[in-house]
Amino acid sequence: MLLLFAIVIAVMPDQASAKTVVDQLKRRVVVSDKPLRVISLAPSITEILFFLELGDRLKGVTRFSDYPKQAAVLPKVGSYVNLDLEKIVSLKPDLCIAVKDGNPIEVIRRLELLDIPVYAVDPRDLDTLIETVLEIGHLLNADTIARRVTRDMVSRIQKIKTLTAQVVRRPGVFFQIGISPIVSVGANTFNDELIRRAGGRNLVKGPAAYPRFSKEQVLALAPEIIIICSMARQGGFERMKAEWNCWPSLPAVKNQQIYLVDSNLFNRPTPRLVDGLELLFQLIHPEFAEGR
Amino acid sequence: MPKDVPIVAKRILFVSFFLLLLLLAVCFLGVSTGSSGSGFKAVWWALMDDSRSDPITASIIWNIRFPRVILAALVGATLSLGGLVFQALLRNPLAEPYILGVSGGSAIGAIIGIMMGFSRFPGVSMTAFCGSMATLLLLLLMTCGHSKFKDSLLLSGVMVNAFAGAIIMFLMSMTQDSRLHNIMFWLMGDLSLADMRQIRILAFVLVPCFCLVFRFSHSMNLLLMGQEVAETMGVNIRLVTVTLLVTTSFMVSITVSYCGPVGFVGLVMPHLLRLVIGPDHRTLVPACIIGGGSYMVFCDILSRVLPDQGEMPAGVVTALIGAPLFIYLLKRSGR
Amino acid sequence: MNTALAVHNVSYGYGATSILDDISFNVPKGAFYIIIGPNGSGKTTLMKIMAGSAKFKKGRVDIMGRPCSQYSRQELARTIAFVPQNIPDDFSFTVRDVVLMGRSPHQGVLGLERKEDGRILKQAMMFTGIDHLAHRAIDQLSGGERQRVFIARAICQKPRIILLDEPTAALDLAHQVRIMDLMEQLKREKGVTVVMVSHDINLAAMYGDCLLLLKKGRIVSQGRTDEVLTFETLEKAYGCLLLVDESPLGDFPRVTPVPHKLKLEI
Repeated sequence: MLLLFAIVIAVMPDQASAKTVVDQLKRRVVVSDKPLRVISLAPSITEILFFLELGDRLKGVTRFSDYPKQAAVLPKVGSYVNLDLEKIVSLKPDLCIAVKDGNPIEVIRRLELLDIPVYAVDPRDLDTLIETVLEIGHLLNADTIARRVTRDMVSRIQKIKTLTAQVVRRPGVFFQIGISPIVSVGANTFNDELIRRAGGRNLVKGPAAYPRFSKEQVLALAPEIIIICSMARQGGFERMKAEWNCWPSLPAVKNQQIYLVDSNLFNRPTPRLVDGLELLFQLIHPEFAEGR
Repeated sequence: MPKDVPIVAKRILFVSFFLLLLLLAVCFLGVSTGSSGSGFKAVWWALMDDSRSDPITASIIWNIRFPRVILAALVGATLSLGGLVFQALLRNPLAEPYILGVSGGSAIGAIIGIMMGFSRFPGVSMTAFCGSMATLLLLLLMTCGHSKFKDSLLLSGVMVNAFAGAIIMFLMSMTQDSRLHNIMFWLMGDLSLADMRQIRILAFVLVPCFCLVFRFSHSMNLLLMGQEVAETMGVNIRLVTVTLLVTTSFMVSITVSYCGPVGFVGLVMPHLLRLVIGPDHRTLVPACIIGGGSYMVFCDILSRVLPDQGEMPAGVVTALIGAPLFIYLLKRSGR
Repeated sequence: MNTALAVHNVSYGYGATSILDDISFNVPKGAFYIIIGPNGSGKTTLMKIMAGSAKFKKGRVDIMGRPCSQYSRQELARTIAFVPQNIPDDFSFTVRDVVLMGRSPHQGVLGLERKEDGRILKQAMMFTGIDHLAHRAIDQLSGGERQRVFIARAICQKPRIILLDEPTAALDLAHQVRIMDLMEQLKREKGVTVVMVSHDINLAAMYGDCLLLLKKGRIVSQGRTDEVLTFETLEKAYGCLLLVDESPLGDFPRVTPVPHKLKLEI
């Protein structure tokens, strides 16, 4: 009798064991309790999912998802600004995770019309990034790992915070993300926050997120530290450094504080940003390097 | 010797029928091509609602590919017809549907819409449409009453487009990141966001325009004889010119507002068809509609098939094919 | 009522420029009426006014006794046909297609051909001698042949009046005479009133029943050929020395311009 009951239960069609959640854009999304086929619609999401050890549930990623290496073999669904709707649908996902900055809203709408739930995130700074990681973890029943990852992030950030509390003065930093033209980062960007948290002072104030500069304008700012974060090859960096060295009046040139950093640690809202933070701290306040 | 059935009617039907078959074939090919694979058999099963048809594949075919193919056909038809009408009205073989500032005006409107954060439909489409209509109005106000009306219109249109180009570059230099991407994709022509409900609206608006233009196809023939002659043969020059101008500009603006300016279709198709069919607009109008539609569907297939990653913008494919084709036609007609 | 076309006190100009000033004349039915005059006399404008494509503010034009404003566009198209001076050649319709277009005032919206259209077409083409060119493209013909195609088209309109704007201007002698003979034949056999603008005084003298001599938008003289073509009126209009005598071919005047070198010998 019990066996019959068990068989009936087993054969019964899976009721949509679903839950309704509210994503970071205040949208209500109906997701299954256990999403098994996830598609990441941005390289940053791919990274987060792998950090949460959910790589086996990831069935599709966008084109420039190059970290970690395992992401490279996954099927590609176009680029994050130009998603391939057909490919996404053909991979039969039960959840897509999107980012507000970049994914076209029309594609998201089409996906929802085709009954594919889309959960959107919008990490704006380190705090919301940590929330994002926790939310994604919760969504995919990986709370434990999520808590572990975020706890690690929080403690490392906290450590830097304690150290910078002892900082005497904050050097002026020019964070250059473009070589030609020269582009820097303004307020309300991740990099601006990282500079601040790393004990520096972002010399670029303005409201524009990625303002363009002429060399003359940079000279007027007189930065003590120039950090070049570019996806261009090494040759580009050497040339830029040589160009700055032509201006010995620049404090950064005088103190020989022009550095190149790996853009991958600064480009995307992922746990690797904390690596970037630590790197920045080392560059801006080398006097604390031994104290770590 | 005079024949019993009007030759023209026979010709119109024959050409239209042949091109219709071509359109259907190309549409079937279009619905069978896509990034998720699915060969002809899968499509056939989905069409026939066969039990072997996979629901996901069927969904892809009906909800993603089919609207896109219909959109491509409508866009190709509108642009080819637009080019034909402008070439007849302005008596200039270089006339194409964007010549009266439509592409410039709608681009400015679209960019403003994208910068303000609107979504493609209805936000950006509305701003694009307003932009093109405003430009047309401006043009007409500037040139009406001129003695050499046609030439003034043409020149002013070219100037407006050039000026708009400068404004577009300025606006683009002020934009950041993902919105810049959006703008660039729009400017290159984008058929990928076809939605069946919106396409129904589009068809509902465009098809009457096609019919109206067809009704004036014989008048376009008469206009080629010269304005005075046409007038003395009973053509109401003012009515015909204004109606055709407004209808064509309207339908081209609607199309561009929806999917961005796709180039070369409106310039090349009328010439190609004229070479094959002859200068009679009564045959050319349906030919441009059906043939132009087929051409665009074909280009759309190529845009999805050629690159091994992602897709090429529609405007790029039409230019890559259209430009050499146009040069070839030029050489042919020069003989 | 035997006036085909009556022009009453028509003036035309724009801004301060006046092109035609108080023009009045009658064209009798079935006449071969030729308008002559030096350049800038307003001949072409007058022609456009008669064809209905230039809107004039002052005056009245009566066609077959009714003011032209009372005619609908279609009616007018079935009454008057116009052959322009410059035939556009930037399209490649066949001769047959072009001539058939002349039937459009009698056809429906799409201009589809009916049996009777074909018959009228053939007659017109044979009349103008272009039947053998029926399937050639019009942009491959000579000027004279193109002219005849357009005349055939005009004939197909079955008009009562046919207006021609300097039809012989760009043609060689043989073709000039051929066109004039054609018009003469049209007038004689079909009773069509022919109104022509011509720059060739002698052709006008040979063929015209009535002439109208214009200068600077005003009428210098009108009436029978021998009344209009006198030494005095011609000198007044053209401002140069002309010899007027009787043509050896018939009882119409012959006008010969006198070159400067001969002037001294007279």
